[in-house]
Amino acid sequence: MRGEGRQMAVISFRRIVIARMIAIGIVFLLVAAGIYGLGLDPGMVGRLVVTSTFGTRFGLENLALYMTPLLLTGAAVWLALRAGLWNIGAEGQFLAGASAAAAIGLSGGANPALAGSPAAFMSSSLTLVLAMTASFLAGALWSALPAAGRAWLGVSEIITTLLMNFIALYMVYALVTGPWADKVTGAQMSSARIEVVLPAFAGAVHCGWPIALLAVAMLALLFRRSRFSYCLALCGSNPEAARYAGIDVGRHVFVTLLLSGGIAGIGGMIEVFGTVHRLQGGLANGYGYLGIVVALLARKSALALVPAALLMAIILNAGIVLQTVQVSASAVLAMTGLLVFAIAVADDYAAWSRSGRAS
Amino acid sequence: MTGAAGAALASLVFPGTARSAKHFGTLAESELLIGFAHTSPVNDGGWTQKHDEAIRHLHALYPAIRTLYVESVPYSADATRIFRQFVAEGAQMIIATSNYGDFISDVAEQAPDTIFLECDGHRVSDNLGWYYMTHWYASYVIGIAAARLSRSGRLGYVASFPTPSVLASANATLLGARSVNPSATLRAIPINSWFDPQAAASAGAALIDSGCDFLAGIMDDPGYLRVAQQRGVWAAMWNTDMRQFGPDAYVSSVVLDFAPFYAQTVRRRLAGSWRAEGRFLKLGEGVDRDRWGARVPPAVAREADDVRRRILAGWSPFTGPIRDSRGIVRVAEGHTMSDADIYAWDWQVQGVSGLV
Repeated sequence: MRGEGRQMAVISFRRIVIARMIAIGIVFLLVAAGIYGLGLDPGMVGRLVVTSTFGTRFGLENLALYMTPLLLTGAAVWLALRAGLWNIGAEGQFLAGASAAAAIGLSGGANPALAGSPAAFMSSSLTLVLAMTASFLAGALWSALPAAGRAWLGVSEIITTLLMNFIALYMVYALVTGPWADKVTGAQMSSARIEVVLPAFAGAVHCGWPIALLAVAMLALLFRRSRFSYCLALCGSNPEAARYAGIDVGRHVFVTLLLSGGIAGIGGMIEVFGTVHRLQGGLANGYGYLGIVVALLARKSALALVPAALLMAIILNAGIVLQTVQVSASAVLAMTGLLVFAIAVADDYAAWSRSGRAS
Repeated sequence: MTGAAGAALASLVFPGTARSAKHFGTLAESELLIGFAHTSPVNDGGWTQKHDEAIRHLHALYPAIRTLYVESVPYSADATRIFRQFVAEGAQMIIATSNYGDFISDVAEQAPDTIFLECDGHRVSDNLGWYYMTHWYASYVIGIAAARLSRSGRLGYVASFPTPSVLASANATLLGARSVNPSATLRAIPINSWFDPQAAASAGAALIDSGCDFLAGIMDDPGYLRVAQQRGVWAAMWNTDMRQFGPDAYVSSVVLDFAPFYAQTVRRRLAGSWRAEGRFLKLGEGVDRDRWGARVPPAVAREADDVRRRILAGWSPFTGPIRDSRGIVRVAEGHTMSDADIYAWDWQVQGVSGLV
């Protein structure tokens, strides 16, 4: 597998796309069979999913709103993978970023007397900038411990980043049932509402969506034949060679995981200020884990994170639609798993059939 | 923009505001599509089942209307997406059978021509209203029987979360009990769930071990009723008639019936006369005590039912002085708590412990 992984870099884009289309097609057929098995008409369900996802303003907005956190957690996991690191902790970093951002949002407090005035605009812009900075730092801080362990002690980041997720989740629960519990509307397990919001972009879609796209574009630029990306690739594939070449592997590993955590943290801030407007137990919604799927789908291209996040968003939105015809939410999870499996097989098949032909 | 939204929000938060003036046109029966969002599965044996029964009643009354539902809607941004999906599928009316706070009010703002109703909600806007049953009167009536049946005067209460609804239920039970036994106490154990038979049974057993011989609570399942049956103590339940799970222990239940309210809501929507409001369903209008258990002595049932009749006639038992658990008078002598006050109850009355 490791050897083939190297070879995959030279597999043509077209081969991968074709193999994946076939895989996705097979998954859809399996899902249709499952829906038929539940006693529903797959044609009717398919039309419902397509028309309500792509045929309505609300459906299209939902896609953008789902894509936003997925782009950022996907980017976080993708960045770590470039150095051969598995950041399974995007979920926790997302929550840490959300918590730090909420702290800023809850302490600021919009002053209704200033509503609409330039002063109010200045103060809410300042809150947003501070919250975004804080969320980046908190996400980075949340990955600092696993990052240091991996960089200098050789502790597997897979386990440590994962475990930090649970600490983050219970920290959020402690905050929203304790010091930050909402006492105004009786919202369960939620902080008070944060009055400063990310400005609207189009309809219900907030500026978080273009910001996330911009972040991905910046990542793509950073990796375009840069020294940094080369060093990361070397650290990931052959640390010994990297060390011999004079690269400080530990520092690169540490900085990469910190950056990765920071990006996921910004995802948390955007979800709080754009979509949920409260710190809340269900905030992360599995975006950190789905980010792993997005990053795997994107392979080595940062720009491919965009279609990958879009595909995940379509699947998640299909899950919402399917629930209105009594297909359980967990069926979506099964569908996601099936898809990842099929795509992994497709990628391997594309690599295998090529090397087979070459030899 | 944020300041204005905040001010608008603040004016929506408080219940009991006047009805909205916004009109929605008439609809033919076959045009109406209603989306229901449930907090648990429709066969949960309790809360959601009662709502589902009312939906089936609606279909019997109005055979041409269409309804959609989603079960186990999480309390997260996914709830927002489900409400938005109902709008995308063309629902003119969306009913959340539990509190979804901002997750529903945000969508109501985005879809001004769709009607939103929230059970246990708190906000009223042009197209968003709420409804809730005044279960505290039924709990008070059951509390009277509890004090008569309990020998120790120690009542146990299996609670979910310490929300105002749960506080109102526990407080009302003890106030009822204290009206006949002033030294009665009520100890609550919150189990952080509405449906967790295992935890409810454990909490029930722990309450019995600590000397309680009457269990009340606010659960969707009969978990602690089974324990009461095994241990030979009394139990009062919620949502449905659960006597089959503990026929000897069963005292009564706070039974719910949403059918009349849903029928009225649909009638008004079809006629174009629906207006957003916050609506309390009174005792006898969707909430009541259940038929008394087989082993409840007739004298006890009669005494409790006399009070029930007085409540039906307009009397309120929630009249001061009422002290909180620290002994401070919170409702002054002669002052009566309104349903809106009770709906926002955030303290426990003297004699109640374990909730705040």
